[in-house]
Amino acid sequence: MKNNIRIERARLNITQADLAEKVSVSRQTINAMESNKYVPSTVLALKIAKVFGMAVEELFLLEEGD
Amino acid sequence: MSPRFLLSPRMKYAGLVLAIPAFVLMVAYLNFDFTLEFLDYSRPSEHFSFNEGFLFNLHQNNFTDELGGVLLTCGLLLMAFSREKDEDERIMQLRLESLLWAVLINSLFIMVSIVLFYNELFLTIMAYNICTTLILFVIRFNLVLYLERRKSLQS
Repeated sequence: MKNNIRIERARLNITQADLAEKVSVSRQTINAMESNKYVPSTVLALKIAKVFGMAVEELFLLEEGD
Repeated sequence: MSPRFLLSPRMKYAGLVLAIPAFVLMVAYLNFDFTLEFLDYSRPSEHFSFNEGFLFNLHQNNFTDELGGVLLTCGLLLMAFSREKDEDERIMQLRLESLLWAVLINSLFIMVSIVLFYNELFLTIMAYNICTTLILFVIRFNLVLYLERRKSLQS
Protein backbone atom coordinates (compact mmCIF):
# COMPACT_ATOMS: atom_id res chain seq x y z
CA MET A 1 0.00 0.00 0.00
CA LYS A 2 1.27 3.49 -0.79
CA ASN A 3 0.09 6.82 0.56
CA ASN A 4 0.16 10.53 -0.14
CA ILE A 5 0.81 11.65 3.42
CA ARG A 6 4.06 13.45 2.57
CA ILE A 7 2.43 15.34 -0.32
CA GLU A 8 -0.63 16.32 1.68
CA ARG A 9 1.55 17.37 4.59
CA ALA A 10 3.53 19.65 2.27
CA ARG A 11 0.25 21.08 0.94
CA LEU A 12 -0.90 22.00 4.44
CA ASN A 13 2.67 23.00 5.33
CA ILE A 14 2.79 20.98 8.57
CA THR A 15 5.73 18.97 9.93
CA GLN A 16 5.77 15.27 10.81
CA ALA A 17 5.75 16.29 14.46
CA ASP A 18 2.63 18.46 13.96
CA LEU A 19 0.77 15.64 12.24
CA ALA A 20 1.93 13.16 14.87
CA GLU A 21 0.55 15.39 17.59
CA LYS A 22 -2.80 15.85 15.80
CA VAL A 23 -3.38 12.10 15.53
CA SER A 24 -1.74 11.19 18.88
CA VAL A 25 1.08 8.98 17.62
CA SER A 26 4.86 9.28 17.75
CA ARG A 27 6.80 11.09 15.04
CA GLN A 28 8.63 7.93 14.00
CA THR A 29 5.27 6.34 13.19
CA ILE A 30 4.48 9.13 10.70
CA ASN A 31 7.99 8.77 9.29
CA ALA A 32 7.60 4.98 8.96
CA MET A 33 4.29 5.45 7.11
CA GLU A 34 5.74 8.03 4.74
CA SER A 35 8.61 5.67 3.90
CA ASN A 36 6.06 2.89 3.27
CA LYS A 37 7.50 0.83 6.11
CA TYR A 38 4.34 0.76 8.17
CA VAL A 39 0.70 0.17 7.27
CA PRO A 40 -1.47 2.01 9.82
CA SER A 41 -4.54 0.61 11.54
CA THR A 42 -7.94 1.62 10.14
CA VAL A 43 -8.46 3.98 13.10
CA LEU A 44 -5.18 5.79 12.44
CA ALA A 45 -5.83 5.93 8.68
CA LEU A 46 -9.25 7.51 9.33
CA LYS A 47 -7.76 10.03 11.75
CA ILE A 48 -5.07 11.09 9.27
CA ALA A 49 -7.60 11.41 6.45
CA LYS A 50 -9.73 13.60 8.73
CA VAL A 51 -6.80 15.94 9.40
CA PHE A 52 -6.30 16.39 5.65
CA GLY A 53 -10.05 16.60 5.03
CA MET A 54 -9.96 13.75 2.50
CA ALA A 55 -11.49 10.32 2.06
CA VAL A 56 -9.24 7.48 3.21
CA GLU A 57 -9.03 5.96 -0.28
CA GLU A 58 -7.72 9.24 -1.68
CA LEU A 59 -4.87 9.21 0.83
CA PHE A 60 -4.06 5.50 0.93
CA LEU A 61 -3.85 3.55 -2.31
CA LEU A 62 -3.61 -0.16 -2.92
CA GLU A 63 -0.68 -1.35 -4.98
CA GLU A 64 -0.45 -4.36 -7.22
CA GLY A 65 0.18 -7.42 -5.09
CA ASP A 66 -1.78 -6.10 -2.08
CA MET B 1 -0.19 -7.50 23.70
CA SER B 2 -2.64 -4.86 24.74
CA PRO B 3 -1.42 -1.64 26.40
CA ARG B 4 -3.27 -2.67 29.56
CA PHE B 5 -0.53 -5.24 30.17
CA LEU B 6 2.10 -2.52 30.10
CA LEU B 7 3.37 -0.56 33.09
CA SER B 8 4.07 3.13 33.52
CA PRO B 9 7.14 4.43 31.62
CA ARG B 10 8.92 5.18 34.89
CA MET B 11 9.04 1.47 35.72
CA LYS B 12 11.71 1.06 33.03
CA TYR B 13 14.20 2.90 35.23
CA ALA B 14 13.11 1.00 38.34
CA GLY B 15 13.75 -2.19 36.35
CA LEU B 16 17.21 -0.98 35.35
CA VAL B 17 18.08 -0.22 39.00
CA LEU B 18 16.99 -3.75 39.97
CA ALA B 19 18.40 -5.64 37.01
CA ILE B 20 21.97 -4.29 36.83
CA PRO B 21 23.08 -5.15 40.40
CA ALA B 22 21.21 -8.49 40.17
CA PHE B 23 22.98 -9.30 36.89
CA VAL B 24 26.39 -8.50 38.41
CA LEU B 25 25.49 -10.67 41.42
CA MET B 26 24.48 -13.58 39.18
CA VAL B 27 27.64 -13.35 37.05
CA ALA B 28 29.77 -13.26 40.23
CA TYR B 29 27.86 -16.25 41.62
CA LEU B 30 28.03 -18.36 38.46
CA ASN B 31 31.64 -17.59 37.50
CA PHE B 32 33.44 -16.86 40.77
CA ASP B 33 31.31 -18.78 43.31
CA PHE B 34 30.53 -15.53 45.09
CA THR B 35 27.92 -15.90 47.85
CA LEU B 36 26.44 -13.54 50.42
CA GLU B 37 27.05 -15.01 53.88
CA PHE B 38 23.82 -13.79 55.43
CA LEU B 39 21.90 -15.90 52.91
CA ASP B 40 23.45 -19.13 54.24
CA TYR B 41 20.92 -21.56 55.62
CA SER B 42 21.42 -24.85 57.35
CA ARG B 43 19.51 -27.04 59.78
CA PRO B 44 20.64 -30.21 61.50
CA SER B 45 20.01 -33.43 59.67
CA GLU B 46 20.09 -36.99 60.99
CA HIS B 47 21.10 -38.49 57.71
CA PHE B 48 22.63 -37.16 54.56
CA SER B 49 20.26 -37.22 51.62
CA PHE B 50 20.58 -36.27 48.00
CA ASN B 51 16.82 -35.95 47.85
CA GLU B 52 16.74 -32.26 48.65
CA GLY B 53 15.09 -30.91 45.56
CA PHE B 54 12.34 -28.90 47.25
CA LEU B 55 12.57 -25.87 49.52
CA PHE B 56 11.07 -27.65 52.56
CA ASN B 57 13.42 -30.65 52.25
CA LEU B 58 16.56 -28.52 52.16
CA HIS B 59 19.09 -28.96 54.93
CA GLN B 60 21.71 -26.62 53.62
CA ASN B 61 21.78 -23.96 50.96
CA ASN B 62 22.95 -20.49 50.16
CA PHE B 63 20.21 -18.36 48.69
CA THR B 64 22.41 -15.86 46.77
CA ASP B 65 21.48 -17.34 43.40
CA GLU B 66 17.78 -17.49 44.29
CA LEU B 67 17.80 -13.82 45.35
CA GLY B 68 19.81 -12.78 42.28
CA GLY B 69 17.61 -14.77 39.91
CA VAL B 70 14.34 -13.39 41.26
CA LEU B 71 15.60 -9.79 41.32
CA LEU B 72 17.06 -10.10 37.81
CA THR B 73 13.82 -11.52 36.41
CA CYS B 74 11.76 -8.82 38.15
CA GLY B 75 14.05 -6.07 36.87
CA LEU B 76 14.02 -7.39 33.33
CA LEU B 77 10.22 -7.79 33.37
CA LEU B 78 9.82 -4.18 34.51
CA MET B 79 12.18 -3.01 31.74
CA ALA B 80 10.55 -5.17 29.08
CA PHE B 81 6.93 -4.39 29.87
CA SER B 82 6.86 -0.71 30.65
CA ARG B 83 5.24 1.63 28.17
CA GLU B 84 7.27 4.07 26.09
CA LYS B 85 6.40 7.72 26.73
CA ASP B 86 5.09 7.97 23.15
CA GLU B 87 3.67 4.44 22.97
CA ASP B 88 1.48 3.94 19.87
CA GLU B 89 0.46 1.18 17.47
CA ARG B 90 3.76 1.22 15.56
CA ILE B 91 5.79 0.88 18.78
CA MET B 92 3.47 -1.96 19.82
CA GLN B 93 4.22 -3.67 16.50
CA LEU B 94 7.98 -3.25 17.06
CA ARG B 95 7.51 -4.64 20.57
CA LEU B 96 5.76 -7.77 19.30
CA GLU B 97 8.27 -8.26 16.49
CA SER B 98 11.13 -7.99 18.98
CA LEU B 99 9.46 -10.50 21.29
CA LEU B 100 9.08 -12.95 18.39
CA TRP B 101 12.69 -12.39 17.37
CA ALA B 102 13.96 -12.89 20.93
CA VAL B 103 12.04 -16.17 21.39
CA LEU B 104 13.30 -17.44 18.03
CA ILE B 105 16.97 -16.57 18.66
CA ASN B 106 16.77 -17.97 22.18
CA SER B 107 15.32 -21.27 20.92
CA LEU B 108 18.09 -21.58 18.33
CA PHE B 109 20.60 -20.85 21.08
CA ILE B 110 19.07 -23.60 23.27
CA MET B 111 19.22 -26.14 20.44
CA VAL B 112 22.86 -25.34 19.68
CA SER B 113 23.70 -25.54 23.42
CA ILE B 114 22.00 -28.94 23.78
CA VAL B 115 24.24 -30.35 21.07
CA LEU B 116 27.48 -28.55 21.91
CA PHE B 117 27.66 -28.39 25.72
CA TYR B 118 27.53 -31.12 28.36
CA ASN B 119 27.56 -31.70 32.14
CA GLU B 120 28.27 -28.73 34.38
CA LEU B 121 28.90 -26.33 31.51
CA PHE B 122 25.47 -27.15 30.10
CA LEU B 123 23.83 -26.50 33.49
CA THR B 124 25.61 -23.13 33.78
CA ILE B 125 24.44 -22.18 30.29
CA MET B 126 20.88 -23.20 31.17
CA ALA B 127 21.12 -21.03 34.30
CA TYR B 128 21.98 -18.06 32.09
CA ASN B 129 19.20 -19.13 29.79
CA ILE B 130 16.56 -18.34 32.44
CA CYS B 131 16.91 -14.66 31.57
CA THR B 132 18.29 -14.58 28.04
CA THR B 133 14.90 -14.30 26.29
CA LEU B 134 14.10 -11.14 28.24
CA ILE B 135 17.63 -9.77 27.80
CA LEU B 136 17.52 -10.37 24.02
CA PHE B 137 14.07 -8.77 23.85
CA VAL B 138 15.08 -5.65 25.83
CA ILE B 139 18.24 -5.15 23.74
CA ARG B 140 16.54 -5.70 20.37
CA PHE B 141 13.46 -3.58 21.13
CA ASN B 142 15.44 -0.61 22.43
CA LEU B 143 17.94 -0.80 19.56
CA VAL B 144 15.21 -0.86 16.89
CA LEU B 145 13.36 1.98 18.61
CA TYR B 146 16.56 4.03 18.89
CA LEU B 147 17.34 3.55 15.18
CA GLU B 148 13.76 4.50 14.20
CA ARG B 149 13.85 7.64 16.33
CA ARG B 150 17.21 8.67 14.92
CA LYS B 151 16.00 8.12 11.38
CA SER B 152 12.84 10.17 11.94
CA LEU B 153 14.94 13.01 13.39
CA GLN B 154 17.20 13.03 10.33
CA SER B 155 14.39 13.17 7.80
